[in-house]
Amino acid sequence: MSYLLSSEWSRLILGLLVAVGFSQLNALFLVWLERKIAGHIQLRPGPMEVGPHGLLQTIADAVKLMGKELILPLKADRKLFFVAPVLVFTPVLVGFLVLPFAKNMIIHDLNVGVLLIFAFSTFTVPAILSGGWASNNKYALLGAVRSVGQNVAYEIPLLLAAMSIVLMANSLSFSEIVHAQRRLWFIFVQPVAGIIYLISATAETNRAPFDIPEAESELVAGFHTEYSGMGFGLFFLAEYTNMFIVCAVATSLFFGGWTGPFGISLGIPGIVWFLFKTYVLIFHLMWVRWTFPRVRFDQLMNFAWKVLIPISLANFVVTAVVVKFV
Amino acid sequence: MAEQDTTRASQRVYTLNLGPQHPSTHGVLRVLLDLDGEYIVKADPVIGYGHRGHEKMGENRQYRQFLPNTSRMDYLSGMLFNHGFVLAVEKLAGIQVPERAKYIRVIASELNRISSHLLWFGTYLLDLGGFTPFLYAFDDREQILDILDSVSGSRLTYSYCRFGGVSRDIDSKFIDMTRAFLKRMEKRWADYDGLVTKNIIFIRRTRDVGVIDAELARRYGVTGPNLRACGVAFDVRRSEPYEVYDRFEFEVPTGSRGDALDRYSVRFMEMRQSCRIIAQALDHLPQGDFMAGKVPQKLAPPRGEVYSAFESARGLSAYYLVSDGGPGPYRCHIRVPSFGNLNVLNDVLPGTLVADAISILGSIDVVIPEIDR
Amino acid sequence: MKVKDIEGVMRSKFPDAPLHMDESGLTGALWSMAVPISGIRDAAGAFDAAGFFLESITALDFEDTFELVYHFNCYEPMSRVVVRVLCGHGQVPPSICDIYRGAVWLEREVHDFFGIEFSGNPDMRPLLLPEDADYHPLRKTFGKVGAYHKREVIYG
Repeated sequence: MSYLLSSEWSRLILGLLVAVGFSQLNALFLVWLERKIAGHIQLRPGPMEVGPHGLLQTIADAVKLMGKELILPLKADRKLFFVAPVLVFTPVLVGFLVLPFAKNMIIHDLNVGVLLIFAFSTFTVPAILSGGWASNNKYALLGAVRSVGQNVAYEIPLLLAAMSIVLMANSLSFSEIVHAQRRLWFIFVQPVAGIIYLISATAETNRAPFDIPEAESELVAGFHTEYSGMGFGLFFLAEYTNMFIVCAVATSLFFGGWTGPFGISLGIPGIVWFLFKTYVLIFHLMWVRWTFPRVRFDQLMNFAWKVLIPISLANFVVTAVVVKFV
Repeated sequence: MAEQDTTRASQRVYTLNLGPQHPSTHGVLRVLLDLDGEYIVKADPVIGYGHRGHEKMGENRQYRQFLPNTSRMDYLSGMLFNHGFVLAVEKLAGIQVPERAKYIRVIASELNRISSHLLWFGTYLLDLGGFTPFLYAFDDREQILDILDSVSGSRLTYSYCRFGGVSRDIDSKFIDMTRAFLKRMEKRWADYDGLVTKNIIFIRRTRDVGVIDAELARRYGVTGPNLRACGVAFDVRRSEPYEVYDRFEFEVPTGSRGDALDRYSVRFMEMRQSCRIIAQALDHLPQGDFMAGKVPQKLAPPRGEVYSAFESARGLSAYYLVSDGGPGPYRCHIRVPSFGNLNVLNDVLPGTLVADAISILGSIDVVIPEIDR
Repeated sequence: MKVKDIEGVMRSKFPDAPLHMDESGLTGALWSMAVPISGIRDAAGAFDAAGFFLESITALDFEDTFELVYHFNCYEPMSRVVVRVLCGHGQVPPSICDIYRGAVWLEREVHDFFGIEFSGNPDMRPLLLPEDADYHPLRKTFGKVGAYHKREVIYG
């Protein structure tokens, strides 16, 4: 009993609860933000009716989603079909454990934080595959297969870009990495890695222009074609939480985490800096989504294997050599 | 061993039923795709979901009563189909049309052509996954709908052209709105170029995709922008000028490769040419009547037949009317361009990816209710 | 001028077939030629060789006969030409779908609406009608009909 109540455990449990709450709020806000941004980019106001500037629209949508029937397609794999959305969402939450929101605002400062976050983000791949497979729908299966190919291909440059930073900071712990950027953000030292990370992260989160697993003009809705109600809701939640996580990781790895630019914090608390930077990056993702058409699957794979991976590998080797000998 | 491999390959092929309800089939088209992985082995478009029997309706109605039907076949270029039908009936019944009405019809038709191409542009980009150009195009299209609404009272199914003229004269407000629209579009072409035409992803998605060469196009009777993209400068407005099209200066833009990118740029250049025609027609708009004096309510044209071709937004269209001297046609056949344009998919789709199939289908610009009639 | 060439070819191929020049421009075609039902493949082959495309195939239903109307056109100004084939009720015209591939669908459509079978067309499933349709709506014996004439009433 005392073991369970020890400060480390209670900190973890409390942290996870906060993370669950935060991820829901974040998704609600991001959906609203996405619709607003899309609207303004497209010469229209976006949601305006529910609440001031439609702020409460997504809450209404969430309530609607929860009230909807979960429809099980005929001949679908029942267990796998219902487990898949949970499988997609859960590993995403783990990411919150190691994210440094501010100097001491980190649930558990693991010394292998970077490794943990990327390891768990890989878990979404089998989850998406099982969702697409269990649906007994060719569109869903095609989407799932695309998703696996895409995620495997883009995880490599993603990791290589992150590893270049790890070499620079000489640590796998997020707080150490942020600490190493007190004076100069790594984006200025490692611009190539930064750009590769952002591109790969867009692909990793299945965002346009790399949203081919759910390309609605081709595959209807891709792997979640058959999901309704909260089954769909969880996929949606996972997508937006994932977006937050990759952008938060980018903030920590390249944009100095909770610190201000060039060590100037202007007296603004670290968490504000952190969230501000993360949401700017998210805004950037949305901006890209509402501007570009979608790439084709083979082009996407070619881009990963023939362009991104060689460049990131070269960048990694050069970084290693420079760090070792300079 | 080799034999075993082929059986395994044939077992790998599975059928994907694209449509009839699918986000990018533009109406109710169903394409049965035999796929090997994501590669298409065989494509079989299935049509007819929107068959309403317009030809039969034409035969048991009076000419006047059939007029509203005409804008409901290709609902995106209703004005052009109205126009074609009144031309056919006027030829059959020998009705003379005042000069002013001819100019008004040309202006309205060309506006409709631009609106149809703009809608195609938007939905094509939607097919390729670009959401924003769709709403930009709709914003511009809205201007045209407002202009046409102000004179015909409707936004899509106009029935504006009548036997012997048009239903209402255009006024200075219409002319001002149209001129303002032309001015607005001059700036918009640059916007579209910047947003879409020069986008590397867009170019990669369309160049060398869905190549239709001139010979294939001829075998299938492909017409319109799809044919011109193969380098054949064939436009009914040029080859057999109807109405007053021979009085305007305009070019017939052509492509060279016949791929989706060429079809895209041909349509874009066409919109600019349409703007040129409208500007000239507005400049030279004659005064006078907008309706011929004596057109009987109940037409009874002499026996005979008429085949009247016109260039709709999608290509060569024609009304084939046979009159037995009665109040309605004995036979009413409508040649629609999308029929041949869609048919060509049988030969174009095999060997491409599913993603390309969507791109090709969009680039061909079919309106399914027009095919189904 | 492809259309001048094809006129010579058609005249020599079908010396007995009446060729009707249209001076009024009403029919949208320069001339029309009534070809016997067995000659349609020959005629289509000639048009194909001359670089024409098949614009449309349609049929007319008269009391005494069907009439198939083929519109050919090429990419030159004013060069539409009509080939007309009288096809008795119950006669089976040959298909031209191996000459013009687009004819597969055009003939299917005619089959849908008039019930004319084309021999040699590999795919005679209903195109626009439901797949189990056993009626032919544009026949003058189907549904509401204004009039049903013999061919001579209209064409003299």
